[in-house]
Amino acid sequence: MVFGWADLNGYAFLVPLLYVLSFVIVGLFGHRLPRAEHGGWVAVVLAGLAMVVGVLIAVGEMVNPNTWTDTQYVWLHTVGNGTGTFPHGLELIMGTLVDPISALMLIVVTVVGFLVLLYSIGYMHQDRGLARYYAELSLFLTAMTGLVLADNLLQFFLFWELVGVCSYFLIGFYYERPSAASAAKEAFIVTRVGDIMFLLGVFIYFYVFALVGPNGGWAANGFAFALGGHPFLNAPGGYGVSLLFLNAHSTILTVAGIMILGGAAGKSAQFPLHVWLPDAMEGPTTVSALIHAATMVAAGVYLLAVTSIFIGFTPTDSLAIVAIGGFTTFFAATMAVVQPDIKRVIAYSTISQLGYMVLAVGAGFAMVGLYHLFTHAFFKALLFLAAGAVIHAVGSQDLFKMGGLGKSMRFTSIAFLIGALSLSGIPPFAGFWSKDDVLSQVYGTLGTHPAYWPFFLLALAAVFLTAYYIFRAWFLAFSGDHPRDPNLPHAHDPPWTMRVPLLVLSGFAIVAGVLPYLPAFGKLFDLGADVPPPPFGFSDALVSVVSFGLALAGFLTAYVLWSNGRVYALPERSPAQPVRQLLLHRYYFKAGFDALGLRGIYLLSRIADWVDQYVIDGTIRGLERAFGGLSGRARRMQSGMVLDYATFVVGGLLALLLFVLIVGPYVLHLWGG
Amino acid sequence: MTDPFATAGFLGLSGALLVIGLFGILTRRNFILLLISIEIAINAAVLNFVYFAAYAPSAPIALEGQSAAVVVIALAATEIAVGLAIVLALNRVRGSINVAESSELKL
Repeated sequence: MVFGWADLNGYAFLVPLLYVLSFVIVGLFGHRLPRAEHGGWVAVVLAGLAMVVGVLIAVGEMVNPNTWTDTQYVWLHTVGNGTGTFPHGLELIMGTLVDPISALMLIVVTVVGFLVLLYSIGYMHQDRGLARYYAELSLFLTAMTGLVLADNLLQFFLFWELVGVCSYFLIGFYYERPSAASAAKEAFIVTRVGDIMFLLGVFIYFYVFALVGPNGGWAANGFAFALGGHPFLNAPGGYGVSLLFLNAHSTILTVAGIMILGGAAGKSAQFPLHVWLPDAMEGPTTVSALIHAATMVAAGVYLLAVTSIFIGFTPTDSLAIVAIGGFTTFFAATMAVVQPDIKRVIAYSTISQLGYMVLAVGAGFAMVGLYHLFTHAFFKALLFLAAGAVIHAVGSQDLFKMGGLGKSMRFTSIAFLIGALSLSGIPPFAGFWSKDDVLSQVYGTLGTHPAYWPFFLLALAAVFLTAYYIFRAWFLAFSGDHPRDPNLPHAHDPPWTMRVPLLVLSGFAIVAGVLPYLPAFGKLFDLGADVPPPPFGFSDALVSVVSFGLALAGFLTAYVLWSNGRVYALPERSPAQPVRQLLLHRYYFKAGFDALGLRGIYLLSRIADWVDQYVIDGTIRGLERAFGGLSGRARRMQSGMVLDYATFVVGGLLALLLFVLIVGPYVLHLWGG
Repeated sequence: MTDPFATAGFLGLSGALLVIGLFGILTRRNFILLLISIEIAINAAVLNFVYFAAYAPSAPIALEGQSAAVVVIALAATEIAVGLAIVLALNRVRGSINVAESSELKL
């Protein structure tokens, strides 16, 4: 073969480049095209091309398993002067690293990106500002593919910020709506907290590995990931970091790991930085499907996975990651249970599912986490797009206004059902396989890590809640005879541009779980001996049976309470009423953050203002006044009277004589001169 | 070789002249008397120059002392000339040469 599969890996930059092209064309000329959706078609075609390249690269990784192709371009090169911290200068690189996991992520991002763009043609056709919409989505896809292809942490961080700002733009797409503008700001600020932590983590790693490390692995290489995936923290790794060295720096490495976790928690909406994701539903549903379900929020999990594969976490970090992930699965699922808004139910579900991935990565199974990321991307995008079809048809997001839509929107209802089955983990749908692997692998570590027990149990309990809330949403929207709100417009299934993505995603939501069972596809999860691949299968029958039983129980509970158009109202006097209020108010987290901002930070600002006015300004004004007074007194000496001056002259002369003749010799005598 | 008693006498004379001059400077209100007091104080210094020049170890050094005395006398003369000019101007402006009454030098 003249042009081998591996050669394609060097052209991985084409994927982001195609999206950039789309961004430039649609962004600059989109509004001059004859019709608004023509810009959308440009974006769809270019995204289709990018998808072809992305999938071909992934196929190449399947054909040549565990190939690592790092194509580096020097971005910044400082010349060293032979001494100092960097005697040979420092090289910062931009590059593309094609390895099994980036190939896997490329499939997710390019396929879901293409389908969402196609779906947007139908979904967004009534909106204004379409050129802006498609340009921003293209920019997002550029950044996201650049992120998954990044071959060093600095580049990772740059694209990480870029996806963050695209998320900000797109949440605030309906910027005339104050709630959308405020949600965009909230998302940006909350993730910014995590981003700062991420950057600090990168700095600490660079400090430890490059500046004080035994052989300057990173100093020579910028921030580049180790080829072959040897974790820095594993003694036999490519950089030969010794155990002695690690023990000497274990505290600072733990801090760095916590910082990385903070960055991931911000992006992946993990407790306690989860507040922004439900509010991000103010953006168009397509944006929720692509950015806030399938790709960007998964970037946090990807960061954790990449860090654990290339750098490694200390045991304390692992426990913290497991705790955050395990707690978030349950915590977010409880809030989804009472939501009246169809998109917010799915948003909480996303937070909860991301928790499973974080849990798996924390327990040491990065590939299992990515497996769940892979399946989740498809069935969650499907759920969002199906919900989008419903919202598009009835013009409302309120589940309690809907009902009976299954009759008029049979296609959509089946698509949503497939997504729901997959999400709740009913075999043979995709979600079952990956969630089962997460739970069984974590269960397997409980013997050596008993501290993981509570978080495993929380994750298990979340399985029940997941099945309950998603079927509650399904029954509320689709079952029954007619909509509960008679003013709802007559619903109909969406046009073909929206049906095709639903169809394809439904297919993925069914088979994505078993795709890795194909030997070729399974290669994408094989990174060699250092990183354990998912077991793919009922590795622990007990966990499988229990989780399936819990999912079934959740479904049955939802069936009893909500099926056939029934609406279960919690009795007014029920003791569960306060809990319901607590959940509806999202555990008062948002109110708490608002209070922190309005009271805490405002108080802090007022204190700072007081210090500025009275301490800093006061010092300067006081000095000024003191010198002013002194000068006022000093100028009185200048009386204009010649006799006074004569007195000063004579007095000065006498004082000088006194000093030279008496005081001076006396002092010199005292000093022994 | 100097006569210690003669030295003490001369230094006492010049010190007395200086103190008399300073006393006059500090106490006189009349501008002309003030100028005379300054002259007396200056002449104390001139006397010192001349006296010590007489005991100089060589002729050139003796000449140095004497010429310094001549320079100081010339300086005193010019100073008196300026001073008397100020007296005339002050008398014309204020009609008085009492220095305690004029404080125009103040800013």
